[in-house]
Amino acid sequence: MPERTRKDRLREEYFDLLPDIRRVVWNLEAKIRYYTRDVLKRLERYEQLVIKSRIKDCESAVEAFLRRQEGRAFDPENPDENSMRDLPDLAGVRVLVFPKNRLVEVDTALRTHFSGWKSDPVPDDIGTPLALKYYGYCNEVSRKVMGEYQVVPMLIGLFWEVEHSAMYKFREVANSKEMRRHRAGVENALSRFESEFETFVENRDQPPSVTP
Amino acid sequence: MQKKDILWAADYRYNFDRDLFVNRKTKKAFSLEFVDDKPEEELRRRIGESTADAGWTFYFNSSPSEGAKRELERLLG
Repeated sequence: MPERTRKDRLREEYFDLLPDIRRVVWNLEAKIRYYTRDVLKRLERYEQLVIKSRIKDCESAVEAFLRRQEGRAFDPENPDENSMRDLPDLAGVRVLVFPKNRLVEVDTALRTHFSGWKSDPVPDDIGTPLALKYYGYCNEVSRKVMGEYQVVPMLIGLFWEVEHSAMYKFREVANSKEMRRHRAGVENALSRFESEFETFVENRDQPPSVTP
Repeated sequence: MQKKDILWAADYRYNFDRDLFVNRKTKKAFSLEFVDDKPEEELRRRIGESTADAGWTFYFNSSPSEGAKRELERLLG
């Protein structure tokens, strides 16, 4: 019988944890929907708040460990160096918000209920936060699996959905100078679009300025 | 010239599964992290340096363990 590899052990651990992962994602999504209900009620017709949850699949979780190792090779003689429990994003919820000024409101509404969670914002190429990310435990349902939630401007979040899944397997391309520049260009354009839109909405009821 | 062009010109090919630039003839492999972090000058020097060992030489930011080296050597052939 062939010897079990490090990947096999991680896969086994993943499936042992799967019931906890499911409980965390359901619990987290339910809480986030509940805590953002007041923001949802106040939305204008053109505004959006979408909540999506996902469970990281087994192979992506194994890949996440491999990506941390140069050469993507586990040390077979040190089988216990990683545990699935170390991954903060096995159970994840993403809150997509449009336009951006609602983002602060959603973040504030959630932060008061997840005060012990660690903040890990997603930066753009020059270090400015593009999206807010937090992780921690939902102790009432699991003390083994962490949950993660993100509050993301909707246009950027939808771009990431396509971009991340396309670039996932091609790190050399994804990390290249050209692609980083293009990605930053798209993110900047989407941010500018939202800012311009917000300015337009804020000023729409203002009387036009009269020049003497 | 970009770093990947320097490697390409020296017959290194990218291994997408391992995120390594590999030259099977000279038996050298550079990790993506090493290439990202080191200046072009160092990369050129490493490409040009002769290796006494008959086996593979891995240029990583943190040296791989003996076990990981053996696994990579087995995969790279």
